[in-house]
Amino acid sequence: MLHYYFLLGVKSLRRNPALTALMVLILAIGVAASVSTLTILHVMSGDPIPQKSDRLFAAQIDVGPKENYVPGQSRSDHQMTYKDAMAFLNSKQGVRRAAMYGVEGVVEPARKELGVTSMEGVATSADFFAMFDVPFLYGQAWQQTEDSSAADVVVFSRKKAEKLFGSVNPVGQKIRMMNGEYTVVGVVDDWKPSPRFFIYNGRTAAFASEDEFFVPISNAIRRETPHSGSMSCSSSREPGWQSLLESECTWFHFWFELKSSSQRSDLQTYVDSYVSEQQKLGRFERHAPNKLFNVREWLVERRVIGDDSKISAWLAFGFLLLCLVNTIGLLLAKFSVRASEVGVRRALGASKRQIFTQFLMEAAVVGLVGALLGVALAIGALQLIALQSRALAAVAHMDWVMVAVTFLMSVSAAVLAGILPTWRACQVTPAIQLKLQ
Amino acid sequence: MKFFSEMRPILSALLRNKTGPLLVAIQVALSLAMLVNALYVVQLRLESASRPSGLDDESTSFRLNISNQKMGGHEDQVALQKQEAATIRAVPGVKSVARVNSFPVSRSGSNSGMAASREQTNSTATAAIYLSPDSLVETWGLRLVEGSDFKSTDYLELNASASREFPKVAIVSRALAEKLFPGTSSFVGKEFYQGTGEGAIGMRIVGVVERLQTSGAPTDLEGEFSVLIPIRLTNEPFFGYAVRTEVGQRDRVMKEVEEAIRKASSSPVNVHSRSMEEFRYERYRSEKGLAWMLLTVSVLLVLVTASGIVGMSSLWVAQRQKQIGVRRALGARRSDILSYFLIENWLITTVGIFFGTLLALALNQFLVSQFELSALPVQYLFVAPVVFWILGCFAVYAPAWRAASISPSTATRGVT
Repeated sequence: MLHYYFLLGVKSLRRNPALTALMVLILAIGVAASVSTLTILHVMSGDPIPQKSDRLFAAQIDVGPKENYVPGQSRSDHQMTYKDAMAFLNSKQGVRRAAMYGVEGVVEPARKELGVTSMEGVATSADFFAMFDVPFLYGQAWQQTEDSSAADVVVFSRKKAEKLFGSVNPVGQKIRMMNGEYTVVGVVDDWKPSPRFFIYNGRTAAFASEDEFFVPISNAIRRETPHSGSMSCSSSREPGWQSLLESECTWFHFWFELKSSSQRSDLQTYVDSYVSEQQKLGRFERHAPNKLFNVREWLVERRVIGDDSKISAWLAFGFLLLCLVNTIGLLLAKFSVRASEVGVRRALGASKRQIFTQFLMEAAVVGLVGALLGVALAIGALQLIALQSRALAAVAHMDWVMVAVTFLMSVSAAVLAGILPTWRACQVTPAIQLKLQ
Repeated sequence: MKFFSEMRPILSALLRNKTGPLLVAIQVALSLAMLVNALYVVQLRLESASRPSGLDDESTSFRLNISNQKMGGHEDQVALQKQEAATIRAVPGVKSVARVNSFPVSRSGSNSGMAASREQTNSTATAAIYLSPDSLVETWGLRLVEGSDFKSTDYLELNASASREFPKVAIVSRALAEKLFPGTSSFVGKEFYQGTGEGAIGMRIVGVVERLQTSGAPTDLEGEFSVLIPIRLTNEPFFGYAVRTEVGQRDRVMKEVEEAIRKASSSPVNVHSRSMEEFRYERYRSEKGLAWMLLTVSVLLVLVTASGIVGMSSLWVAQRQKQIGVRRALGARRSDILSYFLIENWLITTVGIFFGTLLALALNQFLVSQFELSALPVQYLFVAPVVFWILGCFAVYAPAWRAASISPSTATRGVT
């Protein structure tokens, strides 16, 4: 019977073409607006590393001075000093540890016609690649021994490697960069966690940029490579690189990988004892709580989703609500002229329930057509949004989940809107309608 | 008076059949609440995107960055910097050049806490620091409102990795001066401190510029807290040059300067220049994007609401054809029928507007509590009702006109 009602619904689309078209259009616009903003939120809040996001931890320890500090005040600095990053790196906590900071390197390709260019990258330690499941196209990560000898080795991204060496395997080749002669040990296959959570320097960078090269952190330190990104210094320091390393300036990110999320308390104990050890030396004067964040908590803490995206989403859903109210009105109009039809059917023995199912099905058909149009409109809207900003271009694309959400949203919106008009239609008294014929 | 005498039957008719009118009123209320808030956010974003940076002509300004492979010792670097500046200056069309650590609105630069006295434990304001061995006032065309530019003896030359000596004078933006010394009108000669406590660096204000945005250009007052310091630093690889060109020649000059620097260098260098307009475009891109999106949704809101009114009133006209015919047959004029529908719609929209205004305030409260947004200005709540009254009139006019055209003879047809 439902199948028959469905066909009836399709047929009745043609009954009031103008009214029906308006209804479908309004529903489609409402759904498209909410789906396109929802898509952006969906991709932005996505888990960049779902297989181990609950086992990776970043620590926040407060090295700020006691002056100005109000206990309980939350801290905006999420980076670490060199001293602490190195101490954590040498600790035996968890299965893997990686310290990192953003660097910019100038590279002189062997192919002279390319000219000198600069590139964005990460100075980090060997565990980084295994910790974040970085896929390799050629070669592999450097080893711990190269970390400890601060060797001149580099891992390139696939794109950068192709630009510098062409599409051959460059492992073993040498290249002049960052004032030195580096040996290529590996090439990372396409790898772009979105958001780029491991070093988070603001929303624009988190969705737009790709890391082009990786060098050992010990090497970057040895070459006195300045950081590209933010640094926060709570007290003044002596000039020179060595004093920067010894200072309380924070510019490192640090991640632990644990065997399982249940070891979190062990890690917390370690960090607490490390900090209280340091307090004996006169550091960490604030005695602020030391915090651990797994990847999902980290994204919330760093406010990866911008206010703008949330405002848009709220507005879009308000808009959908308006479209819903509008559809209720239009359905009411469409159904009200069919009182006589209902009267005849009721007189011929159709139950109220059958009339109800039939009319609700008709509303659902409107929702289905609205969904088809809505998907098309949403794809168009997302393309327009992507044109607006590079950061959004990375997140403004629809996946199957969102297409399914569109259909579900559109059909349920139409059915929801159809309930009142359908109920009204069922209230028809057959006798009066028949008399009017 | 005629207006009010007509109100009674309309009201009682409305109260007999509430669903349709209620739906229209809800639509008006919802779209008014959203429209008002959306447009307010649009206004805020566009306002923040059009704030002046302090540069007198942004279309002639650009920044040039040079990444050198070899930096050399302090003396070599000073020589190299001077040679680079000379190379840029020699390009035809260049009016002024200044070596500088950062550029307003470029979103890359350094900030530091400033205090009005050494005894303070908290800094008074966080300000952007512009370090330059040349006159930024000249290169950026900043407007001095008090005091003067640096004298040639003010400029220091120092090796950042070996010395901590620091200039004793500074030029500040007026916003920062007023923040540091509230209630004062003259700032030249006053001392302020970078940092707090023992290590704070004291500086005397020699000039005040009307305005200079920071590199981050946040939307609050902090976006205009800037300090200019007359200093040449070495061992600072991220410094660049601010260049000012003749009017209309920027794009050509940008290319030629890049080429000249590449040619002049003995070792391969990476040269990269970006115009002030690009910085501004990049900085406010997301603001503009949101503004466009909200404007689009606002237009859709209005269209959907209007179509709702058209749809519902057409339905009512169709349903009441017979009654209208009877009224016409009994002597009602066309204008009576027209005004009936106009007044009916006006009543419904007014109810919608009333609740919409309340809803708009509630929605604004919600946005204020959730996001960094200020309260809605009152004028919005006065303009919005007018917009919706006009919208309602336009939307209902066609159906109402159709109703007025119903012939009195309809009454005699198909009597049951």
